[in-house]
Amino acid sequence: MITDAMGLILADNRRIQLGALTRPRAIAAMPFAGRFRIIDFTLSNMVNSGIKRVGVVALTKYKSLMDHMGTGAPWDLDRMRQGLYMIPPYINPITREPDRTDAQSVIDYVETGDQKYVVISSCDFVTNTSYKQLINAHVESRADMTVLYHKDGPIEEPPSMVIELDESGYVRDFMVDYPNPTSQKNAVGLIIISRDLLLQLLTEMMARGIADFSIVAILQNYRRFRIHAIELEEPLLRIHSVASYFDASMKVLDSDIRHMLFSVDRPIYTKAKNRAPCIVAPGSGVVKNVLASDGCAIMGHVENSILFRGCVIGRGAHVTNSVLFQDVQISDGVVLDHVIIDKNSVVKMDGRLLGQPGFPIVIEKNAIV
Amino acid sequence: MAKQEIIAMILAGGQGSRLGVLTELVAKPAVPFGSRYRIIDFPLSNCTNSGIEAVGVLTQYQPLELNSYIGNGHSWDLDRNNGGTYILPPYLSQVGNEWYKGTANAIYQNIPFIDSYEPKYVLILSGDHIYKMDYLKMVELHIQNEAEATIAVIEVPWEEASRFGIMNTDETGRIVEFEEKPAVPKSNLASMGIYCFSWDVLREALIKDEANPNSRNDFGANVIPGMIEAGYAVYTYAFDGYWKDVGTISSLWESNMDLLTDPSLINLRDLSWSIYSKNPQRPSHYFGPDSNVDNIAITDGSEIFGECHSTIVSYNVVVEEGAVITDSILMPGSYIEAGAVLTRCIVGMDTRVERNVRSTPDEADGLDLFVNDKLCKDGITVFAPNLVIKEGTKIVGNSMIGAEHARKYPQYVREVPHYSRMEVSL
Repeated sequence: MITDAMGLILADNRRIQLGALTRPRAIAAMPFAGRFRIIDFTLSNMVNSGIKRVGVVALTKYKSLMDHMGTGAPWDLDRMRQGLYMIPPYINPITREPDRTDAQSVIDYVETGDQKYVVISSCDFVTNTSYKQLINAHVESRADMTVLYHKDGPIEEPPSMVIELDESGYVRDFMVDYPNPTSQKNAVGLIIISRDLLLQLLTEMMARGIADFSIVAILQNYRRFRIHAIELEEPLLRIHSVASYFDASMKVLDSDIRHMLFSVDRPIYTKAKNRAPCIVAPGSGVVKNVLASDGCAIMGHVENSILFRGCVIGRGAHVTNSVLFQDVQISDGVVLDHVIIDKNSVVKMDGRLLGQPGFPIVIEKNAIV
Repeated sequence: MAKQEIIAMILAGGQGSRLGVLTELVAKPAVPFGSRYRIIDFPLSNCTNSGIEAVGVLTQYQPLELNSYIGNGHSWDLDRNNGGTYILPPYLSQVGNEWYKGTANAIYQNIPFIDSYEPKYVLILSGDHIYKMDYLKMVELHIQNEAEATIAVIEVPWEEASRFGIMNTDETGRIVEFEEKPAVPKSNLASMGIYCFSWDVLREALIKDEANPNSRNDFGANVIPGMIEAGYAVYTYAFDGYWKDVGTISSLWESNMDLLTDPSLINLRDLSWSIYSKNPQRPSHYFGPDSNVDNIAITDGSEIFGECHSTIVSYNVVVEEGAVITDSILMPGSYIEAGAVLTRCIVGMDTRVERNVRSTPDEADGLDLFVNDKLCKDGITVFAPNLVIKEGTKIVGNSMIGAEHARKYPQYVREVPHYSRMEVSL
């Protein structure tokens, strides 16, 4: 059946900062799993669920996000009707300051769509699931909104969104960053709401001068509205911090999780880069438990690691438990363990960078070590 | 239609019969190459990188896979408002068009398409060569020479020159004589099958050639020798990069292996001249905890748990733990089960090699039922696409296993249904 819903993606979350990694980019544009960005999962889930109109609300540092999305062609969102809409913030014409309370652009986007429902998603998690059943369940339940949850509590790192449900599966209590949660159920940043109700909420928020249009702000209305909760059964990787980003990356090395995340029936789409195939050179070291990408050239030893496109690992280099972003160059003889290295950085000859489990070293973009 | 100064026509209709089962269901230009490419990616990417924006692709033999691969040309940036890629199959008309009789006839039948762009120059390219070439340089030389036709040539070893169409030139590069496979070559400049013509001249030559009942309507055999004889200004353009005609099993295998033995020959990592291909939309490739790989090329969606040495691994390939692959080409979607040992094998798309299959050049107790010395040499064995090679089967080198064997020897080979195969029972 045709999906009567539009998508609304919140590309930023001011409560989630990944240090040097989110300095140059919104969380949605965080590279993930070798050749993707977090937003690829959100967008692909929507597109694979039959959603053909997606708005992306980007507030800060959206240049790399816009480069990535282009016309939306990789997700089949380059359409004459519907398609991809970037929604950057408005600047106040008088003060020339960004007007954080101005949700008019979001209201305009929602209002001009003719779909009855809106699927709102944040970009702090990675999963591969169909929203189709969720939308159907939402319509059948006749709830005011539906939120997705996962039984992965208690979550140690903020932000956590613990929910408690009544016997018919509606949200009875909702607590943000509460240290002693009584429920294992944590909301996932995915809400289904009718277009009319969302417009009402947005208009109210603007009238009250509330600047924070977020999943939390919507769910805080749980006393006013009936919020139905549905459990996500697929694997869920939350990305709240550098440590959880690292853990989530390492989980993709697990073949079961990887196969569910990259199901053949629900592909995850991303921008093509047309790099050459990855080369493992003659006489390279051991390459074990590694996710590598096009354009890589591996001459050294790599283990338990993720290499994004175009990484070069020199002769005699020894890379373990690390995540190397696009075009990172590791010179001959370098030793890396528990390191995350951002795009285009170079580690020169015989360098040694040793992080600790739970505390990976982060090297920023374009660095020369 | 708005004018295009240069337009390229890619001849992609050939069957490629010397590739045997690999081209049973697909045209040669759609055959996978070099891990993430199809052969036609090379001329298409060369066009894009040379700034040529109108490209006709002439198809005839088994076009389904090729058509769906090219689509609207988006992957090569050839989905243009003005120009772009056009798939040009033969068509019927009131004046009685027919199948493309030869390369020249294929262009002849598309004169209206070319006319619609009013081009000055037309490039005739072949869809089955592996090379990187800036066609603009060839057109520039064509203009500088005030040529009417320019033929790209490459120096071949003298001892091999008698296998090629050889161009004998004067000191200015003008061709004075063309000899097809001469016994005693006077030059070692071989035609690459890449031509640049001034359109008004070619148009006239094609009409004349079509009117000649004795012509085979072929560029190499008729049109170009005819133009040289008639005194047209036909020049060479000397190319000194990597160029390989992948028309045979041996040359296809060698050209793939060239990517491993000397990646600088055709530098695929050169970002200023990228070779584009359709994105398989799969995750990064994965090396398992006990994988053992060296000297391989590999791309999206593949997973290696076993051993791969000196092997081209395409997308969506799985090599299970305990399988040992050496000097081979695993085409997209092939699946090698545990314990299989393959040396010098080309495994076609989506073919599954079951447990403990052994296929090596000198396999002891190997079956020789599938040996095809006519097409396979140097111990290379070819598995057609969409087959299942059954558990424990042992095969000697120079074998070629196709769908016909699935019917004759069901104990060794099974066929997986494929959309390109039409089964008609009468």
